[in-house]
Amino acid sequence: MLNLNGYSWLLWQGTQLTILVGLFSMVIAIVLGLIGAWGKLVKAKIPRAAADSYTTVFRGIPELVLILLVYYGVPTVIQDLAKAVGREIIIDVNPFVAGVITIGFIYGAFSTEVFRGAYLAVPNGQIEAARSVGMSPARAFRRVILPQMWRYALPGLGNVWMVLIKATALISVIQLPELMRNADIAARATHLPFTWYFTASLIYLGITIASMLIQQRAEAWAAKGVRRS
Amino acid sequence: MKKWFSVVCMLVAALIVGHAIAKDWKIIRIGTEGAYPPFSFIDKAGQLQGFDIEIAKALCTTMGTECTYAVQDWDGLIPGLLAKKYDCIIASMSITEERKKKVNFTDKYYMTPAKFVAKKGAGIKISKEGLKGKIVGVQRATVAEYFLRDNFGDTVKIKSYATQDEANMDLTSGRIDLVIADSVALIGGLIETEAGKDFEFVGPDFDDKKWFGDGIGIAVRKADSDLRDRFNKAIKKIRTNGTYKKINSKYFDFDVYGDSSPTK
Repeated sequence: MLNLNGYSWLLWQGTQLTILVGLFSMVIAIVLGLIGAWGKLVKAKIPRAAADSYTTVFRGIPELVLILLVYYGVPTVIQDLAKAVGREIIIDVNPFVAGVITIGFIYGAFSTEVFRGAYLAVPNGQIEAARSVGMSPARAFRRVILPQMWRYALPGLGNVWMVLIKATALISVIQLPELMRNADIAARATHLPFTWYFTASLIYLGITIASMLIQQRAEAWAAKGVRRS
Repeated sequence: MKKWFSVVCMLVAALIVGHAIAKDWKIIRIGTEGAYPPFSFIDKAGQLQGFDIEIAKALCTTMGTECTYAVQDWDGLIPGLLAKKYDCIIASMSITEERKKKVNFTDKYYMTPAKFVAKKGAGIKISKEGLKGKIVGVQRATVAEYFLRDNFGDTVKIKSYATQDEANMDLTSGRIDLVIADSVALIGGLIETEAGKDFEFVGPDFDDKKWFGDGIGIAVRKADSDLRDRFNKAIKKIRTNGTYKKINSKYFDFDVYGDSSPTK
């Protein structure tokens, strides 16, 4: 049934790029998620407003619109502005960077909520105890709260990752040769749409199943301090 | 932490390059489609191939410039050129009045007529009456689409696709009755393929200037008339020194430059 006509190498290349895009975006998403959760939890007004508007905007706009806006819209605006002040420049946004940044920012907004929930799940007494033995807020966070947060955050983060890796397929619209784009190229060149889209869907499924296994391990690791009852 | 942050900043800065335009054209960035066999397509190794690509390479060699290639979906090609993502379009683009409002074109580098394709023995007559109620697939924002809308728009159902390949796939899977496109692209992309063996050309050649323009040219931004002149000179040169003929015969057994229609 599956006659790959020599295009399997192209699909393999695409798979690697998809995983790479996914991992880079996830790193950005986790970093932004932690910053966003901090912004939402502190009492100061400005970080709070910034974090709130960040999650509202990035959770409220479809991924596809944002990808097109970042890749096509933003460089054009900057070029036009530069031209208005008499400078001719070319902003060359590489599709990989545009895609990773956009996906990272969107899923950072979702991770923000995951981390916020995880922080709130850590009993308040833990924070008070850490502070009372003289730890600075930053050290208390790193030594006491963060290790406990992972246990609550990992199921949610795993979920974010699953959605994120599938959302990378949208980057194919800005001509990044990731899995979806290359499956599309192969399908059109060989006139075998079923073969190629089916193969691509199996690969995505493979990635998510592998992710689930890794996640189970990670959750076990994060819960190592908690006795099973 | 700070060090790490600055490394990331440098990386991002290196990837997002804002640079001044060099007007000496030592490097020309070419935009092409990569989904229009046999003119431009992506091969098994992920490399761009096809008639357009080889013509582009020959022109670059003639001009003594270095060329880079960017793949861009068809309907984003002109916006991408205007957004300066590349400096010219070599993607089998017809020279039409409509497009000339936005971009400048070089002289033609080939010209072939458009034709309809339908299933063998479907018995469809190409006329307003004969096409009544039929579903015709075209590639979005192409001369074939404009031609179809203006001439048969009131009787046929038009289905527009992002790429010609998608229209061809829907024809072979029976979702649509006909496609109309450049005849040569239909030979290489449909009729000579395994999936297209039950399909054939129907009706006459269409090459009316009003819709199909003055053939296929290279598009450049209006401000870059110097680049257009250099391309024109290079096209003349490869026409006379035999390079064009060599590329032509590699892909086709007829002359794609002239007005003669393909033999099949």
